[in-house]
Amino acid sequence: MHEMGLMEDALQMVSKDAAGHGMKSVEKVSLIVGDLSNVLPDALRFAFDAFRKTGEIPGIGGQARLEIIREPGKARCAVCGKEYEPNEYLALCPDCGMPFGVVISGETFRIESYEGS
Amino acid sequence: MKVTLEKDVMENNDRAAEFNRKLFQKTGTLVINIMSSPGAGKTTILEKTVRALSGQYRISVIEGDIATERDADRIRSAGTRAVQIATEGECHLDPRMIAKVLPEIDLDETDILFIENVGNLVCPSEFDLGQTHKVVVLSTPEGNDKIPKYPLMFHVTELALINKTDLIPYVPFDLDQARKDLQAINPESRLMPVSARSGQGFDDWLNWIKEARQACLKP
Repeated sequence: MHEMGLMEDALQMVSKDAAGHGMKSVEKVSLIVGDLSNVLPDALRFAFDAFRKTGEIPGIGGQARLEIIREPGKARCAVCGKEYEPNEYLALCPDCGMPFGVVISGETFRIESYEGS
Repeated sequence: MKVTLEKDVMENNDRAAEFNRKLFQKTGTLVINIMSSPGAGKTTILEKTVRALSGQYRISVIEGDIATERDADRIRSAGTRAVQIATEGECHLDPRMIAKVLPEIDLDETDILFIENVGNLVCPSEFDLGQTHKVVVLSTPEGNDKIPKYPLMFHVTELALINKTDLIPYVPFDLDQARKDLQAINPESRLMPVSARSGQGFDDWLNWIKEARQACLKP
């Protein structure tokens, strides 16, 4: 359950930034979560809900919503150049069967934006 | 009001890892982050390692567990300085936990620092602690299928110690298949069979550490 700690980090960053903009309450937080980022969206939602309910992070209260934007995992075959969706890190090219595909997308775990007033 | 932040959530962790890494580089300390599932033999390997190397090197150990000082006590009994981090529920060590206990370790007086991570084949693989090398321990009773089942751990480590090789006659562990699977996930990683109990293969591990320590001294 490392999503709990990571969500706390993310919300602290949002909280600090929002305070800098003079906001009192954050209504929506948008995260980009890659398929290969090893962060589970359901666990993130669970963690977000917990912090929202306790209100322990300034500005993140009962009104806050979480948006998760999925970034698909993609790899490029180092041999034939085909782009494909890898099965975790065991990235075998579906065309030529070569391993060692280079991950080109899906590792992102980022706070994209937030809204508040 | 909408604010576009575009901030990596791992940013604070990355910054702390960089801070640790710079400190380790400054003091020339070799730092090895050892990971495995619970019971694979990390602490036993470390006990034997510090006993074998403490005559030649100044060694310190950071022990990570969810609770208790037991592992640090075992390392202290082997005659080495050990600091215990009790994560109180967190399933991994993160670089900020390491930075917090570094003042308790005299890095100038430490040639090799071992960090024993929390027993878990998943979460610890995602956190850079600022270490020089990451090592994973897989024990033969766990089965060779753990390599493809937990690919990230074997993808991010440079050495896979296959421990408890003395049990190979009694448990179904296919060393050849383990080599093939590791090669597919991480062609850069090296597989090294050892037994902390019988001492089989242990010299290879000690030599690996010595070479890594030597590399830390080069400018």
